[in-house]
Amino acid sequence: MNLDKVIAGFFIILAMTLNFGFWYGDPLDMNMHSKYELFAAIVVNLIATVLKLGDKTQIGSVLIATSLVANLQLLAAATLWTIFTDAKSIDPEIFGIIISLSAGALLANITSVVLYVGDTLKSKR
Amino acid sequence: MRLPFIVILSTYTLAMTGLLLIPGVDANGNSFHLSIFDAFYFVTYTATTIGFGELPFAFTHNQKIWVSASIYLVVLGWFYSIGTLISLFQNKIFLSEIAIARFQRSVKNIEENFVIVLGYNETTREIIKRMLAAKMRVVVIEMQQERADYLQLEGFVPNVPILVKDAHNPNALEYAGIKSPYCKGVISIFEDNALNLRITLASKLLNPHVNVVVKATTAAEAENLRDAHADIVDNPFAIIAYQLQMALKAPSLYKLENWLYKTDTLESKTFSIPDTDIIICGYGRLGATIYEMFKKNNITPTVIEVNDSRINTANYSGVNKIIHGSADDHFYLETANIYDAKLVIIATDNDTINLSILSTVKKMNPTALIIARENEITDFSIFSQAKIDRLYIPERILIQKTTNALSNPLGDKFIRMIALKDEAWGQALLVNLVKNIGVNPKTYELDLTEKEAYEIHKYLKNKENTLTLGTLKLSRRDRNQKNNLLPLLILRENEEILSPSDDTLLQIDDRILFACDSNAIDDLEYIANNAYEFKYIISGEERKLFFNQL
Repeated sequence: MNLDKVIAGFFIILAMTLNFGFWYGDPLDMNMHSKYELFAAIVVNLIATVLKLGDKTQIGSVLIATSLVANLQLLAAATLWTIFTDAKSIDPEIFGIIISLSAGALLANITSVVLYVGDTLKSKR
Repeated sequence: MRLPFIVILSTYTLAMTGLLLIPGVDANGNSFHLSIFDAFYFVTYTATTIGFGELPFAFTHNQKIWVSASIYLVVLGWFYSIGTLISLFQNKIFLSEIAIARFQRSVKNIEENFVIVLGYNETTREIIKRMLAAKMRVVVIEMQQERADYLQLEGFVPNVPILVKDAHNPNALEYAGIKSPYCKGVISIFEDNALNLRITLASKLLNPHVNVVVKATTAAEAENLRDAHADIVDNPFAIIAYQLQMALKAPSLYKLENWLYKTDTLESKTFSIPDTDIIICGYGRLGATIYEMFKKNNITPTVIEVNDSRINTANYSGVNKIIHGSADDHFYLETANIYDAKLVIIATDNDTINLSILSTVKKMNPTALIIARENEITDFSIFSQAKIDRLYIPERILIQKTTNALSNPLGDKFIRMIALKDEAWGQALLVNLVKNIGVNPKTYELDLTEKEAYEIHKYLKNKENTLTLGTLKLSRRDRNQKNNLLPLLILRENEEILSPSDDTLLQIDDRILFACDSNAIDDLEYIANNAYEFKYIISGEERKLFFNQL
């Protein structure tokens, strides 16, 4: 067992699960999506990105790419939410965009987890 | 490097979470929770110690307690992370890695022929200047930062990238682009012979097609280097002895050589060496090489040498007229028959002694020819003020030889070939050059390849053996006139033609060396590449694009 692997795996999977938790539910119903869950998803995604830095392998670069995509989408979602809340004009259309952005990030998270698991299975140690 | 980022992320998150959970009070006294963005904003300006104050509303005591605790956390975390990043940018190893990467990038961007020069000093500085003047780019590897700074101050145009690294390290050569197809040569003229040998071996292994120019000061070293496949071995002492031999046997060839090395014009006074009454002062590496040369030509000069071990070497190699003593002493010079001497060669490796001998000899025998050696290459030479018949600076010889070999390879080949000719041949060529072109002709190399001479190449491909060398001489203003152009050498795959005649048939991939004036170079470039000019030159007709059938 490798403590580094445990920590990295923990954050990569947590990033996915938190994002899933935020995304799950009726996309047009604001009550089903907590902003705090989005906040947690962003923080954990950022930590997962940092943990992936410095890996020079082929798999490593794709992992970082997926993380960057997830961060970009989640930060875009959070920024939209902040801006439109301020203007008191958050409507189902904007909220739909926020949820679909997080859905995209979720895909990136899933790719990341699949790659990570695959890489771990390939390892002989 | 991950830790600083993790620290920032976690301290920020912790502080923000607290701010989100603890309720505040708004302007109307209602309970109020900070939004996520407000919390992030507050933590951001607090952590960086900018401190805009308590926004959006003044904090309650509960909030203040949390903030006082978290300030220590986020501010310390922030300074730790920033400090780590800054110290990374001051790290010497990191900086040198960046310098290497920048160097590699600028080498990669050179898309012209270039050479790698190892070591930066007075000699290589001169080589760099000459190479740049000959439209070759230069890349330098130098071990000492201080000398590299001098190169930066010199401000060469175009830019000369420099890498501060030990040339012993084969990586350095690789960074300098030795494997690039544009790399034409490596110049290694260190005093350290082992280093020269090592660089030759490394360069040849990394890229067998690159020309390696190295310095050797004895015949044995030169032999070693040739075994290691060095292409051009510069032995300045051998070159000096060789030039003296030329001046002795064929002064015209000597003149031609000096013209090709760009040290003299063809008009210069003929320098010929007498074949009796010669004194050599100093039997070091240069003295011995010159002595051997004279001996081969059945001349026995008198040698004056003060050093015991060198006397032994001289006795051992059969020098029979040798005087043990200091050459700036009247007594020993008299013993050597200074009053009858026709030529005095001052060849010790100490400039002060050389100057002292020089003034003594001038006083005792003002009519003798004097050849002196200057060891230190400087901008201002005392020797050149002393009216010496020939002054040899080994370093300068290296510079001429090296730059000529790399920037004008055909010229170098030509110099080696004329050495086998006699005085009459040289005299004829000399007269021909001066009469047809002038006292200081230029040299121009034309390769009949698709890239350098498109039209000629195309023509030769269709009609072999129809184009004569004489055709290239025609003027493109009026083809009945000829340009001032004299072919010196044609180099083919398995043939070398020295001063070819006008009716020589050209072949694809011929390399031709011309002596000419700048007008002729201009014409030749047009004729070789421009379809209209070429058509006019070979047929006298203008090329027609339309109405060909009429």
